[in-house]
Amino acid sequence: MSRRKFLHQAGALASGLLLHQQLLAAFGSGIQQTINIGFIGCGDRGRGILHIMRELPSEFRVTAVCDVLDFRLQEMLKDAPGVKSYKDHRKLLEDKELHAVIIATPLNLHYPIAADALAAGKHVFLEKTMTYNIPEASKLVQLAKQHPAQVLQVGHQYRYVPLYFKVKEMIEKGYLGKITHIDCRWDRNWNWRRKVPAGYSDKQVNWRMYKAYSGGLVAELLSHQIDFINWAFNTHPDEVLGTGGIDFYKDGRETFDNVQVILRYNKENMIGNFGATCGNSREGYIFKIKGTKGTVALLVNSGIFYPEPETRKELQVVDGVSGATKIEWNTDGGIPILKEQGKDGTWYALKDFYTCITEKKQPTSNVITGATTAVCVHLANAAAYTNTIQKWKTSYNFSS
Amino acid sequence: MRFAITILLFFLITAGKQPSEKRPWRLSGFAQGTTWHITYYATDSIVQQHPIDSILLQLDSSLSIYKPYSLISRFNQATDSIVTDIHLRNVISASLQTWKATGGIFDITIQPVTQAWGFGPIKVTELPDSLTISNLMHCVDSRYLSMKGTVLFKQKPCVRLDVNGIAQGYSSDVLAAFVESKGVTDYMIELGGEIRLKGKKYPGALPIRIGIEGPVESEFQPQMLHKVISPPDGAITTSGSYRKFVQSGGQTLSHIIDGRTGFPAKNELISVTVYAPDAITADAWDNSLMAMGLERALKTLQQQPSLAAYFIYRKKDGSIADTASTFFDKFMIEEKSRTRDTGN
Repeated sequence: MSRRKFLHQAGALASGLLLHQQLLAAFGSGIQQTINIGFIGCGDRGRGILHIMRELPSEFRVTAVCDVLDFRLQEMLKDAPGVKSYKDHRKLLEDKELHAVIIATPLNLHYPIAADALAAGKHVFLEKTMTYNIPEASKLVQLAKQHPAQVLQVGHQYRYVPLYFKVKEMIEKGYLGKITHIDCRWDRNWNWRRKVPAGYSDKQVNWRMYKAYSGGLVAELLSHQIDFINWAFNTHPDEVLGTGGIDFYKDGRETFDNVQVILRYNKENMIGNFGATCGNSREGYIFKIKGTKGTVALLVNSGIFYPEPETRKELQVVDGVSGATKIEWNTDGGIPILKEQGKDGTWYALKDFYTCITEKKQPTSNVITGATTAVCVHLANAAAYTNTIQKWKTSYNFSS
Repeated sequence: MRFAITILLFFLITAGKQPSEKRPWRLSGFAQGTTWHITYYATDSIVQQHPIDSILLQLDSSLSIYKPYSLISRFNQATDSIVTDIHLRNVISASLQTWKATGGIFDITIQPVTQAWGFGPIKVTELPDSLTISNLMHCVDSRYLSMKGTVLFKQKPCVRLDVNGIAQGYSSDVLAAFVESKGVTDYMIELGGEIRLKGKKYPGALPIRIGIEGPVESEFQPQMLHKVISPPDGAITTSGSYRKFVQSGGQTLSHIIDGRTGFPAKNELISVTVYAPDAITADAWDNSLMAMGLERALKTLQQQPSLAAYFIYRKKDGSIADTASTFFDKFMIEEKSRTRDTGN
């Protein structure tokens, strides 16, 4: 073989190696790695994630489930027959074949179980809100740094939903102008309780009602919207005000059934209003972002953009406008943001969890962003429970 | 004394006949997946909302491929023929004329192909390849259509019609005819960006001003006006793919499909605004001119003396420029560089 030919081929081989990653991706299921998953926490949310995971069979294989409550474990096994089952999460974590865990337990157990999972060398998908309190958020950030090869993703799934991605893009491109006000609600007309089967206590099944286990409506619901604002504006609030009460379901619960929190973002010159009541469902989920040039009104899976009238001033000098393929306005004068309804947010979040594990990337909803949102949630609860205005401390500025 | 009374009577009578008594009346609504606006100038509100909505619904029942019960949908599902109504006949007639004049670029039998590209009622999950297109093109050719009395025939069952490229223009003309039937002589009708206008606006008997939209990147950005014009009585329509397109392999593909090839038009044109005596003609031509590219479009317009067009296009260096054909220049009114007699 002549020298030139050899160099030519060697060059081809080198570039071939560079393309290896792309080729790996292109070959698809042939060389695809399937992640073995263990579920810790098999309540409504855990089972919900399991159902979505079944739509991703080449990415994930559920091999183990764990719950301290027997009836939850039995329900889960119906949907995941034949997998290993545990009552103690530490036993589940000893399984060497397991690559990653989904943690969907009551809030007070998030930190200890996540810490155990990281120590056991597993990748972690931790449901929101990340931790029960601020010190635990800080500790988890430190812990995750000691396990850089492991992925820790927090379940703030709106960072993954194409619709919300598009809204973030619209904000960044200035289509809304200067945003000063955000209005969010997540209402329901329901006592938020689950049925307690015979032989189980209320505290075991309805942990959301108790301050020792739960961050209430703010941690369970409003955290999604609070997290989205942190993400869309790359920010955090500077001041948190809040109020609430047990205003309708005076049934022995400790967490509020009616809350309203105000987050003041001084650097962005914005006010965010977040509220939830268990006493009315008319508005349900609403999420409105209001700027000088337009408004975005979001539901869980769809969104509409409403331009501000002032932006159309130029059009008033003419009697008509001729344009190509007219925008498809809704009957109420808004423009749908995405033409099609997307999938459940969890689907996108799980897809990203898979990508981050296999391509060794940092998730968009990670321990830092999860901690930041956890701080917001806890400041909001502190404000409501103690009737004080909570201020952001520099120690809450986590960095990787 | 009698003279004075006569003069007085004369003034009273002519005062009653002053055109400056006309004032604007506005109607608006939602139809054909878009909004419509009508401004007419009259002494009284002689045109009402309800009949307009009715007409638009009727047009949908005739021409909309998004309504499975419509005449056109039934023709598409039929094996050989259907009995048409006046709307479908008018649209077919104008379409066949434009098909001939554009050498087949405008062809309403293109429906199976526009559907395959994702611009039809059925959602697509992937874009077609050349083989699919060449197979579908066996059903595409307006010569497969023929009218006998009120019956429309197709030579092949797979022949399917899509009149979206002409229906809004036609609808504007139908609305114009209705408005004129009420005795209105001064109006501006806009439906999905297609415009039909006549007369002047009042008070003041001023020229009606039409803005031509400038292409913007996103539908969420405020509308910008590229030019303002005062055309004579007739129609103004604009075609462009800066809003409606598909993305494929990093490229954006126009929704304007060339009836000769079955592929999206790809040339330097960003948008074309066409003037014609009526909106059905303007609408049929705007997409065709877009598909032709600048040079052929200008040449073709030389053979169409009743049409005029304004083009926004991308130069080879990437910068955006504009130009106009024949007498379109005369309508422009915002240019400060030259004085002109707009001849209103």
